[in-house]
Amino acid sequence: MSAPCQWVRSVLAAWLSDELKPSTAEAVRRHLEKCESCRAHMELLRESWRLLDEVPPKSIPPAFTARMMARIVEEKDLSRFAARLRPHEQRRKVLASVAGIAAGLFLGMAVYGWTGLLTKPVSPVESEVSQHVSFLEDVDLLDEIAVIQAMDRPDLDPADALDGA
Amino acid sequence: MAKAIAVAAGSYEQAGRRGAAADYDVSLMLRFQKGQELAFQELVERNHARVIGLVYRFISDASDAEDLAQEVFLRIYRARHTYKPTAKFSTWMFRITANVSLNALRSRANRKDDVSIDQVTDFGDGPRALPDHDTKMPDHDLHQAELEEKVREAVAELPEKQQVAVVLNKYEGMSYAEVADTIGCSTMAVKSLLARARDNLKDRLLLYIRTGRGRQRLT
Repeated sequence: MSAPCQWVRSVLAAWLSDELKPSTAEAVRRHLEKCESCRAHMELLRESWRLLDEVPPKSIPPAFTARMMARIVEEKDLSRFAARLRPHEQRRKVLASVAGIAAGLFLGMAVYGWTGLLTKPVSPVESEVSQHVSFLEDVDLLDEIAVIQAMDRPDLDPADALDGA
Repeated sequence: MAKAIAVAAGSYEQAGRRGAAADYDVSLMLRFQKGQELAFQELVERNHARVIGLVYRFISDASDAEDLAQEVFLRIYRARHTYKPTAKFSTWMFRITANVSLNALRSRANRKDDVSIDQVTDFGDGPRALPDHDTKMPDHDLHQAELEEKVREAVAELPEKQQVAVVLNKYEGMSYAEVADTIGCSTMAVKSLLARARDNLKDRLLLYIRTGRGRQRLT
């Protein structure tokens, strides 16, 4: 394709829409007069553009404005409702946050206590002492004393001593 | 250079304000801004036909077109506090219309992507929007319906910006400068968009053009 043809084809759409400067439009018109190929191209562009008219416009639905205004009323009601809801909503959010934090703290402390982390000794000596204290807590001291006393007295059966205690 | 652009932008904005001042719809919008609800009602009454018509050019579905037109006016209603009359009201309104329509097209395309293979098989890819061939429809109507469908498809398959430019220029009768204002680009860009769009449309509708001036059935 020659350079003039390329140029003309690049501006043909604007030429068809009457969007070119008069001098440019005149140059295109002169080229089209003598160039059959560009003329054919222009016809195709024009006809395909015309085909777009084959799609009929939309018929306008009756009472659109009334329906639109009804929707605006709904919109206003919704905004009023949202505005009324907002303080309650905020209060509820604050309360929920506080309750959440409290529950989290309580749960954390419960887990901490249950795992024994609170009473767990930190040094080996404390650990040793703790074991002995636990042992002493578990032993029935009175039973222990009664058995020892029975052992000192050969006439007494340790089992009887336990019953007597 | 920057100064020249600033001056140009300033004069453009002044021209926009002058245009806006002479625009009755702008005055309605300003009255609405001051609390006159009736002014909004008048705006809807004056413009709804153009908005519905424009949405329909993008969407091709009558009931969706009305819903989306309502969405356009709802956006205008919500924007009353921030509205500034810097351009023609119609430019602003058509920009909203194009955005709402393109968003709807995008979500429709996303929904299509989500459809399973079974569903695709169920609904098929055939001419479901076309008249049933078994009914006694005259040939002319049949051809016309098919032609309309093909033309709609050809426009719908254009890239988004080309599609908007075509709809605004062809169906709204906007000049290149007005299209540029509406979609927010230069007139040169619109010139290029429409040149490519018209080439694409020519290629897609070629068979109709060659076989009987758009009246022959594509087979």
